[in-house]
Amino acid sequence: MSVVDCHMLLGSGTGWWDLTHGGSWRPPIHGQTRVKFEVSQVLEACSRAGIDRACVVSPVNDSYEAANRLIAEACEKHPDKLIGIAAHSPYREEGRIAKLLTTEVRSMGLKAVRSEGHPSRELLDTAGELGIPLIYAPVLEPMQGPARMFYMLSEYYPDIPFILPHMNGYCPDYIAAMETIHHAKLLPNLYFDTSATMYVKYLERATRTVPIEKTLFGSCGPHLDARVAIETIRLLELPPEQEAKVKGGNILSLLKMAG
Amino acid sequence: MSHPFAPPARREFLRQVAGLTTAGAAALGCTWSAAATLENSPVPVIDCHVHVGTANQMIVPWNTIGDPEEILRNMRKGSIDRSVIFPMTNPNWYGSFELANREIVEICRRYPGKFIGFAKHDSVAEKGRIRDLLLREIVEFGLRGYKSHSPQPTLEVMETVAELKIPYLYHPRQVSDLVAVARDFPTVDMIMAHAGPYNRIASKSVESRLEAIEAAKTHANIYLETSRATETSLLEKALQEAGPAKLCFGSDAPDCDARLEAFKIRNAMASLNIPKEQQAMVLGGNLLRLVNKSGRQVVE
Repeated sequence: MSVVDCHMLLGSGTGWWDLTHGGSWRPPIHGQTRVKFEVSQVLEACSRAGIDRACVVSPVNDSYEAANRLIAEACEKHPDKLIGIAAHSPYREEGRIAKLLTTEVRSMGLKAVRSEGHPSRELLDTAGELGIPLIYAPVLEPMQGPARMFYMLSEYYPDIPFILPHMNGYCPDYIAAMETIHHAKLLPNLYFDTSATMYVKYLERATRTVPIEKTLFGSCGPHLDARVAIETIRLLELPPEQEAKVKGGNILSLLKMAG
Repeated sequence: MSHPFAPPARREFLRQVAGLTTAGAAALGCTWSAAATLENSPVPVIDCHVHVGTANQMIVPWNTIGDPEEILRNMRKGSIDRSVIFPMTNPNWYGSFELANREIVEICRRYPGKFIGFAKHDSVAEKGRIRDLLLREIVEFGLRGYKSHSPQPTLEVMETVAELKIPYLYHPRQVSDLVAVARDFPTVDMIMAHAGPYNRIASKSVESRLEAIEAAKTHANIYLETSRATETSLLEKALQEAGPAKLCFGSDAPDCDARLEAFKIRNAMASLNIPKEQQAMVLGGNLLRLVNKSGRQVVE
């Protein structure tokens, strides 16, 4: 069984945390570089946690062209370890996304795209045409249940697999977790990753009530400890074939990659 | 590690957590109760933050139902010997925690050796009655500490807690609230729930967690409970800066999973190569020392 982490960070950016101030949670300030994750940190996090391969994406950035190129270069150097994910801001990069993303996927080998902000039609049309999953974490106030932001996306773009990071909440947040379960049952193309949730009881509920293909193992490493993320999955006590899907099979299948 | 509160020597530490007498240890129902063999006995692993019982209104899962059987199941799986339990947050049994605390007492008695009960009160709704209630709950019924959320405890609460020499597990609205109480009542051991308020979501709590570490470094009577750390690197920071003598393992079960919370703190201590004896303090010894300060025996 190949263990594939669907959510790791690589490169520098403004991020959601300020590592220059003890890791405090602060909304991105454009023009400031506040986080930086090296390839060596990603590889070490994988090695310590027993992760075979990691999907890597840039932290929040002012501009993603250079950041995505860095991701692609790292993947080229470590093809057996890293899987590249592009990132784009549908509004700051409006009008350029189709061209950029097409190149990043078809020429540079990136396998999916993360949308910083609610995805625009331009981004959705391009992702649909390229046949890649779209990762999107709605930024709303806590306890508001951002999963509802996927209603229209799912209805109008039924062929795009949407991945909701952190099971919708960056910590144990029962409303986020329950709404994720509800929406993942309701919307056939909505998936979620397990990173940073640390909510074993709701993950257990998800694996019981939502098709197992919808749960994707992720760690949000190296910012968070991938060993904790792996332990969270172990505590679910899933049958081996289900655990294999969650820990790698499901994301590889969405990315149309072999195990 | 440089911090002002150096851990006690091994012999002194074991003497403190044992509560001085074999009888005291036996009354706690600990598996390591024989004082004569303390040097070779393991310190119990104690989860110091668990909500148990039944609330009247079913609104949100984390303050409605805490099933002791579920707690015990995860304790077994997570190698946790005992848990500190107290009522659900939901204060709706006729505006009083009296019945809820009685439920805690009953659960402690039903599962001897497994739970250490803390009382909880609504300092506003139960104003004027708290001293009498708490004296009875601690002295007669065998509860061993006090737990509350914000708002700030009243003078009535604090004077009674000080009089009873019991530890106080407090989840304040902000770190400075707990610091103010700890400063005014230096003889009361204040345990900061979640090592700082988590401001609804943990990711926004980083600054308060850093503030909490500073508070634990500065004040002899402030301790940090470890639950709900999303950024587990902050547990490592707390261990390095406040020191193992100032941390108490807690899970905030049943909302959080005690097995995972135990893994997080064990993982953080292993990463830092914290000596086994100091790990034992974090995992249970520190809490036991605070509970034993009153010299009171528990009724189970």
